[in-house]
Amino acid sequence: MPAIKVERQMLPMFASPNQGARFYNPELPQTEPFVPGHRTCAGCGPSIQYRMTSKAAGDNTILVGPTGCMYVANSSYLCTPYNVPWAHTQIGSAGSFTAGVAAAYEAMIRKGKWKGPFPNIICEAGDGSASDIGLASISGALYRNHDCLIICYDNEQYANTGIQASSRTPYGGMTTFSPPGKMVPEAKSLYPKDLARMMAAGHPHCYVATASVGYPIDLMNKVRKGLNHKGAAYIMIYTPCQKGFVYETPRSIDLGRLVVECGLYPMWEWDPEKRKFDYSFRPQNMRPVSEYLKLQGRFGHLHAEHVATMQKFANMQWKMMGVELPDALVRAADVKNVRDMGAAQAAEAVALTV
Amino acid sequence: MTTALAQKKKVRINGCVASAQAAKYADVDVITAYPIRPYTATMIALAQMVANGELDAEYIVADSEHSQLSIAHGASSSGARVFTGSSGVGVQFAYELYSPISGTRMPVQMMIADRTLDPPGDFGSEHTDALSTRDMGWLMGWACDAQEAFDNHLLGYRIGEDRRVLLPQMVCQDGFFVSHITTDVELPDTGQVREFLPDYKHPYPLDPRRPVSHGPQIMPEQGPPLQLERARAMEGAVPVIEQAHEEFARIFGRRYDPWIEEYMTGDAEVVFFLQGAHGVTARYAIQHMRQRGAKVGLVRLKTIRPYPTDRVKDVLGRFAVVGVIETNLGLGSVSSGGVLYAEACAALYESAQRPLVVSFMAGMGGEAIVLKEFYWMTQKMLEAKKRGKIEKRTHWVGFED
Ligand SMILES: Cc1ncc(C[n+]2csc(CCOP(=O)(O)OP(=O)(O)O)c2C)c(N)n1
Ligand code: SF4
Ligand SMILES: [Mg+2]
Repeated sequence: MPAIKVERQMLPMFASPNQGARFYNPELPQTEPFVPGHRTCAGCGPSIQYRMTSKAAGDNTILVGPTGCMYVANSSYLCTPYNVPWAHTQIGSAGSFTAGVAAAYEAMIRKGKWKGPFPNIICEAGDGSASDIGLASISGALYRNHDCLIICYDNEQYANTGIQASSRTPYGGMTTFSPPGKMVPEAKSLYPKDLARMMAAGHPHCYVATASVGYPIDLMNKVRKGLNHKGAAYIMIYTPCQKGFVYETPRSIDLGRLVVECGLYPMWEWDPEKRKFDYSFRPQNMRPVSEYLKLQGRFGHLHAEHVATMQKFANMQWKMMGVELPDALVRAADVKNVRDMGAAQAAEAVALTV
Repeated sequence: MTTALAQKKKVRINGCVASAQAAKYADVDVITAYPIRPYTATMIALAQMVANGELDAEYIVADSEHSQLSIAHGASSSGARVFTGSSGVGVQFAYELYSPISGTRMPVQMMIADRTLDPPGDFGSEHTDALSTRDMGWLMGWACDAQEAFDNHLLGYRIGEDRRVLLPQMVCQDGFFVSHITTDVELPDTGQVREFLPDYKHPYPLDPRRPVSHGPQIMPEQGPPLQLERARAMEGAVPVIEQAHEEFARIFGRRYDPWIEEYMTGDAEVVFFLQGAHGVTARYAIQHMRQRGAKVGLVRLKTIRPYPTDRVKDVLGRFAVVGVIETNLGLGSVSSGGVLYAEACAALYESAQRPLVVSFMAGMGGEAIVLKEFYWMTQKMLEAKKRGKIEKRTHWVGFED
C-alpha cells in the first residue's frame, strides 16, 4: 500500500504585545484542555503554565506527564484535569515515551491506520525529570527529531517529593537536600545547570526557547512556534512553586516577571533555521536581584555577600544577552553596597513602624 | 478458509533472524532498538528490512534500554503494534518499565535472547535476565529452536492483544543455542498471518478524538482493584492461549501444546524439567541413555507466565524423581540454586503423589550441557529413586564427583 502523506497543523501567532501580563486578550481560544478542580497548591506556577500551554495547543493534542507535581497533584483516579488524551510515564521516560507517541502517529497515519492531521504531542516534564533523571531520554527525542514539544516546567527543585535540590536549583536556594548551616551558609553552593542552552547547543536543528509564566502571550506564542516547527522543540519555562519558594501565593505572576527583570532568567529563542540565539526580548524594567530574592523564604538565610554573588551572576547573564549594565547593577554586585542597601532598607522599615 | 499454501517457504536462518521475520510478518508499526549481544542480530535484520522498504515501520535507535521500553510503551499506548527486545544487563536496565507497561495493559512485545548478567557477562545464555522480571505481569515463555521462536512471536501478539488479555509478552530464546544457530524455518504465507493475527486495536488508545487518561495517580485503596484486574488478566489468558494454539495449528499446520512438551515420558521413572534450548540436547541425550536402559524422559516447560500449575502438578506427579535443570541464578533461594525448583515444588505440593525433586545448576555461563553431564544427572536421579531420598537439593553440575 502506498504511504499516506502526513498532514501537519499550523497554529497562528497571537498578535498582542509580548509584555502584557494582566489584561483580557480576546484572541485567546475558548478551549480549556486543562480544567480547574485539581489538587495543586494555590498559585501553583506549573499549573498556570499548564493551562496556558494546553490552551495554546488546542484540542488535537496529546499530553505526556512524567512523574512530578503535574502528574501527582493533577491526576487522581477517575478524576483528571486533562480534557485531551494524557498518559503518565516514568520520571526518567519523559522524552522516550513522548517519542513513542510521535513515532506511533507517524506510522499509523502513513499506513492508513489513523486518519487526521498529526496531533500536537506535548510532554510536561519537571526540572528534576528534565535536567537530571530524564535528561538522556529528552536528548534522545530531540536528537532524533520526533515531531513533538518537550516542556520543562522549571520550578527549580524536586517539588513533589517535598522540595529537594535539582540541577536547576539556583545558587543560594534552600531545599531539604540543600539546607543552610555553619559549613554552607549559602545553602545551595552550585549554580544551576544551563539546561535550555545545553539543549539548543546539542540539538541545533530543534526550536528551543525559554519562557516565564510572567509573560503569558510570549509563552503561548513560543508554544505555538514549537508545535509548528516540524520536528522536535524544547521550551524551559519558569514556574514558581510557593511550597518550595515560600512566598505569598497571589505573587506567582509577579515572580515570573521579577525573575526576568532581575536577569536571573534570560529569555531567548534559538532559531534552528538561522542557527542563532535571539536575545531581543527586553523586560520593561531592570532591577537588582534583591528585589526578587526578598519575596522568597528559600533565600531568607542569605548574607550580603551571597546576594552580591548572585548579582554578579545576573550581571553576567545580562552581558551574555548583549545588554548594557546600568551603574546601579554594577554597584549591587559589590558586597559593601549590598550591606548599605540592606541598612538603608532596614532604616526605612524602622522609620515606617515608628 | 483455504490459505495460499504456495506462498509458504522454507528458509535457513537463525533464531534472531526468525524473530525479525516474525516482526515483519506481524507488520509491526514501531521498532525500538539498542545494541547488546546476542539479540542485536534481530535488530540488524529489521534495520535492513526497513531500509529496503520490505517493512513499513518507524525504526528508532533508542538512547538506552530504559528509553527503548518507554518508547515502546508510548507507541503501544497510542495504538501502534510495537516490537522491541534485549539481552542480559539490557533487560535489567529497563526494569522500571515492566510493571507500568503491563499495568496500563499495553501488549508490547519484547524479544529476549538470553545472556548472562554481569558477572560473568559473557555472551552465553543464562535465563536470569528475563526470569528476574517474571512477576511483572508479562506473558513469558521459551522457545527451543528458531521455528518455535518464529511461531511464538505470532502467538504472542495474538494472545497479548486479545481484549480479554491485553498484556505484554516476553518471547524468549536462548542466546547462541537458538539465536545464533541456523536451522530450517518455514515462513508462512502473509494471508495465513492476516487470518491468524488481526490488526491491533487497543480499546482506549491516546486518541485526541476520544480523550482518556492513562495511569493517573491513585489512592491506596484504589490500588488493590487494579492489581486484582491485572492478576485476573493473567489467569484469563489461559483459555485464550489454548484457543490461539488451536487456531495456530489449524492455520499453519504446526500443533504445539502451549504449556508442556513431553519427550519419552511414557514409561519414564525419572525426568528432566527445563526450559528452552537445552531441551534439544536433552532429547538426544535421553535417546542415548535409553539405549543403555535408563528410563529417563524430558518435560519441557513452554510457558512460565502464566504458570501452568495444575499441568505441572499432574505431569510431574507421574514420576519418581524430577531433576530441574535451572540455567538461571537464584542466589540464596529456597534451593540455594535457581528459581525454577521452588515453583515446581510449589505446584507439586498439592499432589497426592509427590516425586523427589532435585535441582541441577547446569548450562551456567551459557555452557552447553554435554552428554556426560546428562549421564551424571540421570545417575543422581536414579540413585535418589533407589534410596527413596535425595542426596541434596542442589547440585552444581561439573563441580562435584
Ligand atoms: C525512578 C524514580 N525515582 C524517584 C521518584 C520520586 N519522585 C516522584 S516525584 C519526584 C519529583 C520530580 O521533580 P520534578 O521533575 O522537578 O517535578 P516537580 O515535582 O517539581 O513538579 C520524584 C523525584 C520516582 N517517582 N521515580
Ligand atoms: S508543590 Fe509547587 S509545583 Fe507542586 S503543586 Fe504545589 S505549588 Fe505546584
Ligand atoms: Mg521541579
